[in-house]
Amino acid sequence: QSMSLSITPAQTAVWRKQIFEQLSERTKREVDSFRHYEQAVEQSVWVKKGNM
Amino acid sequence: MADDKDVLRDVWFGRIPTCFTLYQEEVTEREADPYYLLLPRVSYLTLVTDKVKKHFQKVMKPEDIGEMWFEYEGTPLKWHYPIGLLFDLHASHTALPWSITVHFKDFPEKDLLHCPSNSVIEAHFMSSIKEADALKHKGQVINEMQKKDHKQLWMGLQNDKFDQFWAINRKLMEYPAEEGGFRYIPFRIYQTVSERPFIQKLFRPITAEGQPHTLIDLLKEVSPFAVSQGGGEKKYQVVIHGIEPMLETPVQWLSEHLSYPDNFLHISVIPISTD
Repeated sequence: QSMSLSITPAQTAVWRKQIFEQLSERTKREVDSFRHYEQAVEQSVWVKKGNM
Repeated sequence: MADDKDVLRDVWFGRIPTCFTLYQEEVTEREADPYYLLLPRVSYLTLVTDKVKKHFQKVMKPEDIGEMWFEYEGTPLKWHYPIGLLFDLHASHTALPWSITVHFKDFPEKDLLHCPSNSVIEAHFMSSIKEADALKHKGQVINEMQKKDHKQLWMGLQNDKFDQFWAINRKLMEYPAEEGGFRYIPFRIYQTVSERPFIQKLFRPITAEGQPHTLIDLLKEVSPFAVSQGGGEKKYQVVIHGIEPMLETPVQWLSEHLSYPDNFLHISVIPISTD
């Protein structure tokens, strides 16, 4: 009997769910308490530069 | 449940709160206050610190101003590494904000590349994307793009425009369904304890039997000490974008979702402090 190495949907859900959760925790840790800080890159209108 | 596309957005909009302080031995005409900024994790230090430069140069004489460079706890910070990688590698255990020291003299020639203009960053960024595509698609996708598409990738990064960047970058993330993934995964593994700046090898996303390779397969092959255990305890953290993905995560999925804009997975292996 061969052992299947394929990833089952249940296992898939675990690693994917953990990445979502950790990214959410990262935002809380690194961003939420510092939203009063100035952004390094201003959110200006996107302009495509080109040569005339 | 959240969509995988949300991961791309979370990765792109990651920020590191940072406090820039002028090196105490820089010559100034009056005291310089620290400068606080939210730095995009996916960008480059010299690309997003014009405000820092202007702030400190206001208190300095022109003759005392050389090329600006950055240091954290004695380590010069390589501008050609993405900011998130620098933080994960050198400072992930520090309290926030990240405290970076700003220098305008004594440029550490042996540690850092010069960065005289943004075009140098653009050249480095585009060369990384091309190298990544050479691994993923033999360079066919990037070579078939037009120059304006290349420019759009760069402008998207430079101006922090997620939609503009991903409108093009999604093409670099495609692969033939029958192959189940890229040809090779563009990745680099960094460890501060090593003399080598990073490890990079050819690694396929799928086993010879057609099964997905996972993060632990990659680490066992490339950096086995990172997953070795002493006395059953984990000795290293494997960090990408400030998180520790489970070792069962398929590398193809990681490459598509957790690569930096340069299309590489930058993986930090960090010793766990036993203090």
